[in-house]
Amino acid sequence: MNKHKIVIAEDNSTLSLLLKFRLEKEGYELLMAVDGKEAIELIENGNPDLIITDIMMPFVSGLEVISHVRNKLELEIPIIVFSAAGQEEMVLKAFSLGANDFMGKPFSPNELVIRVKRLLS
Amino acid sequence: MIDYQYLIDYFEEFPFLVQLVWRISGVLFLAIVLLTIYLKAIRYKLRKKENEHVTFKKEYEALLVEYLYAESEDEQVSTEQQSIILKLKNHLPIKYKRKMIISVLYNLMNEVSGEMAESIKTLYYKTGLIDYALKRLKNKNWYVIAKGIGELRRFKIEEAHGAVIKFIKHPKNEVRKETQLYLVNLFRFEGLSFLDDLETPLSEWAQLQLLEVLQKFDDQQICDIKPWLKSNNNTVVLFALKLAQIYNQFEVKDILIDLLSHKEKEIRICVIEVLTNMYGIEAKEILKTNFNELSIEEQLSFFGLLENLVVPSDEPFIEKHIFHKNFEIQLLALKILKTINIDKFMGLDKLPSNKEVPEMFNLVNNV
Repeated sequence: MNKHKIVIAEDNSTLSLLLKFRLEKEGYELLMAVDGKEAIELIENGNPDLIITDIMMPFVSGLEVISHVRNKLELEIPIIVFSAAGQEEMVLKAFSLGANDFMGKPFSPNELVIRVKRLLS
Repeated sequence: MIDYQYLIDYFEEFPFLVQLVWRISGVLFLAIVLLTIYLKAIRYKLRKKENEHVTFKKEYEALLVEYLYAESEDEQVSTEQQSIILKLKNHLPIKYKRKMIISVLYNLMNEVSGEMAESIKTLYYKTGLIDYALKRLKNKNWYVIAKGIGELRRFKIEEAHGAVIKFIKHPKNEVRKETQLYLVNLFRFEGLSFLDDLETPLSEWAQLQLLEVLQKFDDQQICDIKPWLKSNNNTVVLFALKLAQIYNQFEVKDILIDLLSHKEKEIRICVIEVLTNMYGIEAKEILKTNFNELSIEEQLSFFGLLENLVVPSDEPFIEKHIFHKNFEIQLLALKILKTINIDKFMGLDKLPSNKEVPEMFNLVNNV
């Protein structure tokens, strides 16, 4: 059976590693990006089934990633957005751009797994 | 050898000025060469350090993730976790490595919640990092103490309360600020008890930081702010006024009205603003009576209050101040008059005295 591919765009390397470890344990294949620019490259070349992106990232923000996926690549892949406290406006923008779900930081990785499973089912 | 001698003789035949220029050029060339070598050495050292930093960071990140997922249902700390704790402990005596471990732990603790955040905190205890932070509190340098308190706050170490509270009256502002942040971050509104006997000023920046922390909490049940409104420390009164406004403390209205006659002008202005937001009708009447005794800033604040609380019976008072000596008060008076009696406002256009302020009249008319 083919593994579901997930792109994670997150600039906090420790959190990235933790999510990679957790989601790989659940049987997903992970493609890791440290910023929005890398994420776009991975999405264009990796053909993922789901995207998890932070909003605030260097070079290219999470909002730009969503916009690129929805408007330029015209893909319907589910997108989960991470946001920190006080970024409510950004979250609304993310939803208007086409994000499917969001998680406010700090969050529980177990809860993320549940949401990933729900979106990929 | 003969060639060299020939060159030396040739050089010595030059006029003094030319020789000097050559000598200076030689010295400068040598300096450039030496500085280039020095720069290369520094760059090499920095690159090496950066590579080491990346390597150690990766190692600690991997150890942390491994630790978090090595939990055992049978034991409180599994064998695997114990071996990770031991590995990390061995790195702690080196300050550079210790700092990096703390930063890795904190970076993740900030992003995850629940059990995982608690596990990171446990790791902070088990590795003995807490002892290093507590040791910092005994340092003679104030900046080391401030950093120590900051670290205990970030890792939410409530047990250090006794050791930290001692610094609430520290002569250095930075240490006091860190202590205050520690108390409020960990004990929320209860942590504000330091305001009871605070003698040193609470800066505007410190007030904003404390308010920001308080607003993050889900439980917004505020404690009694009355003693702080009566404090002898003016900055504590100003902070309590901010709390009264943000948390709609309607029960302190009487104290606020008493504060209208506070000896400090800044507090009186702030009280007017707070009352504006809390719709203090009583304050309006008191201020109207004492209007001429107020300073220009207070009068302006009062007109700001009137904008929200004005009723038709205030019209004679407003009319009296349409030609006030202060431009901003004139403007506000015209705006308020337009709101309560548009006919009278339009009639002002025909008054001869209005020729002094036609632009203002037109401006208000167009709003």
